[in-house]
Amino acid sequence: MTAGVDPVAVALMQARLDHLCRHMGWVMTRTARSPIFSQSHDFSCFATDPEGTLVSTADGIPIHTGGGGFAVRAILRDFGHELASGDVYLLNDPYTAGGNHLPDWVVARPVFHRGGLVGFCCNRAHQSDIGGGAAGTYNPEATEIYHEGIRLPPLKLVQAGEMRRDLWNLLMVNTRTPELLDGDLRAMLGSTEIGAARMEELAATEGPDRCRELFTAICEHADRRFRAELAELPDGVWRAEEFWTDDCIGPHESRLVLTLTIEGERITVDFTGTSPQVRGFKNSSWVNTWSAVSMALAAFLPPDLPRNEGTFRAVEMIAPEGTILNARPPAAMTMNTVIPAHEIIHLVWRCLSRADPDRALAGWGKNLFGVTSGEWQGRPFVLYHWNAAAGGGATTDRDGFNQIGHLIALGGLNLPNVEFTEATYPVRFRRQEFRTDGGGAGEFRGGTGIEYQADVLVPAQWSFRGEGLGPPSGHGEAGGEAGAGGEMFLEPLDPDGRPTGEVIEAPRYGIRHLGPVRVTARSPGGGGVGDPARRDPRLTMADERNGIVTPGTAGSDH
Amino acid sequence: MFPLSIGVDVGGTFTDLAMTDRLGRSWVAKVPSDNTDPSRGVVAAVEALARDLSIPVSRLLGGTERFVHGSTVATNTVLEHTWARVGLVTTRGFRDFLEIRRGIREDQWDHRAPWPPVMSPRHLRRTIGGRIGPEGEETEALDEGSVAAAVEALVEEGAESVALCLLHSYACDDHERRVAAVLREKWPGHLTSVSSELVPILGEYERGSTTVANAGLVPRVGSYLERLARELGEMGLRSEVLVLQSNGGTVPIVAASGRPVELVLSGPAAVVGALGRHRSRMGGNLVSLEVGGTSCDVTVMAGGEVPVTDSLVVGGHHLAVPAVDVHTVGAGGGTVATVDSTGMLQVGPRGAGAVPGPAAYGRGGSEATVTDAQLVLGRLRDGARVGGSVVLDAGAAREAIRRTVAEPLSMGVEEAAAGILRLVGQAMIHAVEAITVQRGRDPSEFVLVAAGGAGALHGSEVARALGMRRWMVPGEAGVFCAMGMLHTDLRRDFSHPLMADLDDVGSRGLATELEFLHTRGLDTVSSEWDRTLADVDLEAAPWLELRYPGQLWSVRVFLDPVAGVRAPLPPAVRWLREEFERRYRRLYGHIQPDGRLLVTAVGLTFLGRLESRPEVQPDPAETGAEPDHRRPVWMGPAHGSPVVDVYRGADLCPGQHLEGPAVIEMATTTVLVGGDELVTVGGGGDLVVERSRSDEAGVSR
Repeated sequence: MTAGVDPVAVALMQARLDHLCRHMGWVMTRTARSPIFSQSHDFSCFATDPEGTLVSTADGIPIHTGGGGFAVRAILRDFGHELASGDVYLLNDPYTAGGNHLPDWVVARPVFHRGGLVGFCCNRAHQSDIGGGAAGTYNPEATEIYHEGIRLPPLKLVQAGEMRRDLWNLLMVNTRTPELLDGDLRAMLGSTEIGAARMEELAATEGPDRCRELFTAICEHADRRFRAELAELPDGVWRAEEFWTDDCIGPHESRLVLTLTIEGERITVDFTGTSPQVRGFKNSSWVNTWSAVSMALAAFLPPDLPRNEGTFRAVEMIAPEGTILNARPPAAMTMNTVIPAHEIIHLVWRCLSRADPDRALAGWGKNLFGVTSGEWQGRPFVLYHWNAAAGGGATTDRDGFNQIGHLIALGGLNLPNVEFTEATYPVRFRRQEFRTDGGGAGEFRGGTGIEYQADVLVPAQWSFRGEGLGPPSGHGEAGGEAGAGGEMFLEPLDPDGRPTGEVIEAPRYGIRHLGPVRVTARSPGGGGVGDPARRDPRLTMADERNGIVTPGTAGSDH
Repeated sequence: MFPLSIGVDVGGTFTDLAMTDRLGRSWVAKVPSDNTDPSRGVVAAVEALARDLSIPVSRLLGGTERFVHGSTVATNTVLEHTWARVGLVTTRGFRDFLEIRRGIREDQWDHRAPWPPVMSPRHLRRTIGGRIGPEGEETEALDEGSVAAAVEALVEEGAESVALCLLHSYACDDHERRVAAVLREKWPGHLTSVSSELVPILGEYERGSTTVANAGLVPRVGSYLERLARELGEMGLRSEVLVLQSNGGTVPIVAASGRPVELVLSGPAAVVGALGRHRSRMGGNLVSLEVGGTSCDVTVMAGGEVPVTDSLVVGGHHLAVPAVDVHTVGAGGGTVATVDSTGMLQVGPRGAGAVPGPAAYGRGGSEATVTDAQLVLGRLRDGARVGGSVVLDAGAAREAIRRTVAEPLSMGVEEAAAGILRLVGQAMIHAVEAITVQRGRDPSEFVLVAAGGAGALHGSEVARALGMRRWMVPGEAGVFCAMGMLHTDLRRDFSHPLMADLDDVGSRGLATELEFLHTRGLDTVSSEWDRTLADVDLEAAPWLELRYPGQLWSVRVFLDPVAGVRAPLPPAVRWLREEFERRYRRLYGHIQPDGRLLVTAVGLTFLGRLESRPEVQPDPAETGAEPDHRRPVWMGPAHGSPVVDVYRGADLCPGQHLEGPAVIEMATTTVLVGGDELVTVGGGGDLVVERSRSDEAGVSR
């Protein structure tokens, strides 16, 4: 502990800040309009000190970890001289405002006590539509950020407690769903208002100077914890690569390269060697790359590791400008929180798994499902094929999850019931079952991935985002093998709902307009960990009996 | 004295018994639980009470007209993975939904942790042909051959019981009924669980998971309950044993045996009866803070009703059964304090368990716990006896705190103990906030009921922090749930899913739905409750679930209950919309004016209301309360450890008042009273605490 700082007070303050962030989260969940918040929790509430240093991220999705400070520091850069009580700021731009990608908007509220700045209470949340070339924020045909929606540098949205009406109107005319944006933005404002009131109360009871001291002590503790974790890892240099064979627009080879160096209590994450930025929308911003690295490190280490800005002070990141992982404007980048975040996490885990094979983490299958949208019963619908999600990677303690949400949420996204989806959308499911031999073999095997089949009953627009199509994407680790690759094709249906015999191969990225079709997919499996020969024979027997692997092959077919 | 009512709550550590007689007088007994056979704890508690009263067990039980039992046996079967070998029969193409679990992870950061084992492993899951659509229409005929094959395979695999869950069976149960008939031939009795009968809700994962859990519990819990009823009968009990369900109501043991999944919250759900008892005096807005050895359970009663939800998670298993909304955090007397490798103090969520328990128990515990901190700071008395045989040892508590907390943090033992209490107190404050604020309630409008062995040590602090002016300690705080069982009504919930536009269904459609449920429900309760019906007032309370299209969660709207056997009538659609909007706004802060509304379920709750027994009314006290002794007690960071009055609960008479700061040592709990608080002693040993002076004095955080 910092000399002179009461450790009980530090622990109390940490718990209060975490509670403050969770309280902001409750308000957001209760008041937002879009299901993406109330049901999928695609937002993060966080608190910073007066310099924009993250002190709590207790309410949030993993891929937002560690990124919030950049947004507040951009506000301080532009408005530091005129911050005042009652002001609220808004931003999203990844190039100028510390944003990660355009759909995630940040509302940041400075908190004052007796005229002095105590900190910021903030909410980063994925909006349902922000204009751009395609409805719903994801435009797989974008080649410039201008095709992806409205860019917001740090803006003063509320001045001295008054909403700036002109600015609000500007935002509302730049979305296809103004009623949702209006409700969701108000929910974000409300949540930060509650957070700010609580933070002001902390300043009033503890005194602003002491608050400051405790914020610092919280980050210093996290820094010490992280360095203590690093000290457990051996010194060394590790290198890993991932490959792409298309850039969303067409065939194109690129590499993502990481050299990770641990030297005592320092860790360097160097992406030098990564290919130049690509045409399509899977480039990353500095903030998103940093967030993915933070998340990957935190997820490799014990779950009780604090996750504030102090945690990652010992980390140096190098990502050369103009590459996929630190693109220059006007590169498109909306996909980045999923792809290349998935690859970044894989790269970090690959290096750490070699540094500490006893804690090795295998790769998770990349998703291949897209989105179907159209009109049904006179209303627009947007159907995500979540039930085709991929398998997760094994660890040194367990097999991979056979089907799980995105890696970037560590599976924190819940899959809907087939019954709910059938009752809500023009779709009839035919199958959602584990693949046989889909999981990468290993002492602990990867998740199997899924045999998926569904009939979409009406003509619709299909937006493909199938990074997981083709070769295996969930790599094995420490002697484990990769999971099976992904496959997907579509069969047009005749008026009786029977396949016509025509088969359409699904593209990895792009938009297609199709009539009623049957979609069949095999989602990728996760990777295995450890030598398959060391697998507990009882587990192998159970897998055989359960039809998870073909008897006698240990699942090593692919 | 006779007739008697007895409530027995089998917990993980202790089995508690509470008894009241015709005059409202009460007795309690507490014996250690026997986790290998929980019925032994029940018998031991009855024997202990008979011994205390010096009457034969047969006379005691023979004079008992109501015997209510709450038990963790279903919970433990789930948590300890000792369920039966369950087969699942489901729709072709969907063999794995039970194991996919909708991908739900409780703590995503703890991703290295495996899921708990699936209750029905894949080789015991079989699929059959035939399909029902979301509107209840048959889109593919039932493939009888595949049914026969599935049954044969499950017999061969040695399934002990079978669950049946076909897609969309909530909308049309035709296929399920036909398959169930085949299954019941092979697994007679209660050993087949059918999803459309047990839990007809939309959502194959939650419906199937609940059905499988039920099938896994029947062979274990059903046999336990039947054995217990038999044993008690042989000991002289003539009345029917009632079992407490997770919904906070009771049901006769015969009815519970086939639906054990409804018992997984059997003990804690007694909070409904326990709070109901204080409703007349303290009002209908209560929050219970029940602090035991390992955890702190918080439950809200708002407007006289304790909310019941349909989503319970036990040991990672999702169970869509009606269950009292209890929020639990790991903050109890046995919660362990540690210092991490880099000097951060942490309290909980891990506990020292029943054995070894706190260091002060002298049973081999060496880690510092919350109880040790209470003892070091004088809030508990050195040498006091707890739970029968344990004598608190302040020396051992002090040593544990010194070694594991004070020295690593370079601070004094008292300072370290104070830190432990401040952290655990804050966790409790946050827990109460979570269950009130998060659900749209303002905690300052509630009265805190501090119960369990340790709740009353924290009541003052929690009430103050959340602006609650009054809090209370029930006289039976240490056997809160057992006592609550004596005040628990019979209850059975029936529901039927819909997915229809409210305006399309209209009042007429709702009337048909309610009539259908009423006929079905009345049939069921008439046969299940036949031996008890004469003693209760029957009531049917209807409700609807509504939501805006596209949403996943519904809001429940309650209609006026109807007494007797008449079917309830639905209200006007316009009233329903207004009521929905009122509730929705409170939960979510906004509404969609004139938005389309879907009815997602119609429900009917049958209650068998018990006649309430008289409470002993206190005579005005003739003398003031006299303290037993005085000792230094830590009263919070702002007050240090002044010497305060310590009262013995047994010395207090109803009608007396006493002023804080003070400590009151009751039979099953210890009460800490802040310096600005005034205590009034009520009937049955209840203590009502009111904050009188400014917030500057008293216990502070």
